[in-house]
Amino acid sequence: MTSLALLFTLSAIGISETVYLIKKRLAMQAPQCFIGKGCTQVLESEWSRVFIIHTDVLGLLFYIFTSSITAFLYIGIGPFLPLSMIMKLAVGLGMLLSIFFFYLQWKVIKAWCFWCLMSASTIFLMGLILLISNFF
Amino acid sequence: MSKTSFNLLRVGMAITFLWIGIMILKSPESWGGYLQPWAAGLLPVPLKEAMIGTAILDIAIGILFLVDFMIWPAALISSIHLIVILTVSGITDITVRDIGLLTATLALMIETLPPSFVQIFKKTKPETL
Repeated sequence: MTSLALLFTLSAIGISETVYLIKKRLAMQAPQCFIGKGCTQVLESEWSRVFIIHTDVLGLLFYIFTSSITAFLYIGIGPFLPLSMIMKLAVGLGMLLSIFFFYLQWKVIKAWCFWCLMSASTIFLMGLILLISNFF
Repeated sequence: MSKTSFNLLRVGMAITFLWIGIMILKSPESWGGYLQPWAAGLLPVPLKEAMIGTAILDIAIGILFLVDFMIWPAALISSIHLIVILTVSGITDITVRDIGLLTATLALMIETLPPSFVQIFKKTKPETL
């Protein structure tokens, strides 16, 4: 239960982050950049979309997906093992994408975005929780 | 309240309402056990259905808090909801937690009151002779 509650909490934090970024983008306002000053540079770069989908929308869909799966796993809706596997695959994919975005900020765009780093940390924490809950 | 404090409180309350809603959906009957017998007797629907309704309300409030949409009505409904919970569950070990949650939702509501509503309560300057 604890690991699912933590995973759900992190997913919910991710939803609030991405909704904030989407709202700011639609209102054509710069988001608050608490650490560093590269948020706008990163969020308006050519890498801010994956194909035609904005990364903030992609992030929101990811977090809605993971929070729903976590809720289903907790309530006991659907088969446990396939859902658990889907969750692990989704978080694994999210971690890989986060590493790629981290590399882009570091080497290509050469600017750091607070919100992107926070989202990456959220996904890595989710991965860590999944890893620990598998061993204990 | 600063914007950062408000957002921290909003997201924290969102997660609380969402997770409680999910917990009630998992076992509505056991959560119904918190109801005082006199309150359970007043329910117009079976206890399980009433608890599922409560869970859906909690999740809806949590979603509104999380996406920062219609905070004022959501905080008002959640405050009324918590007053009802405090009334129907009686004084238990967890009453103090519900009081904390109630003050938090009241803080969110007061912070997001529409300006037109606030204007009604603003003191008018007394007329001088």
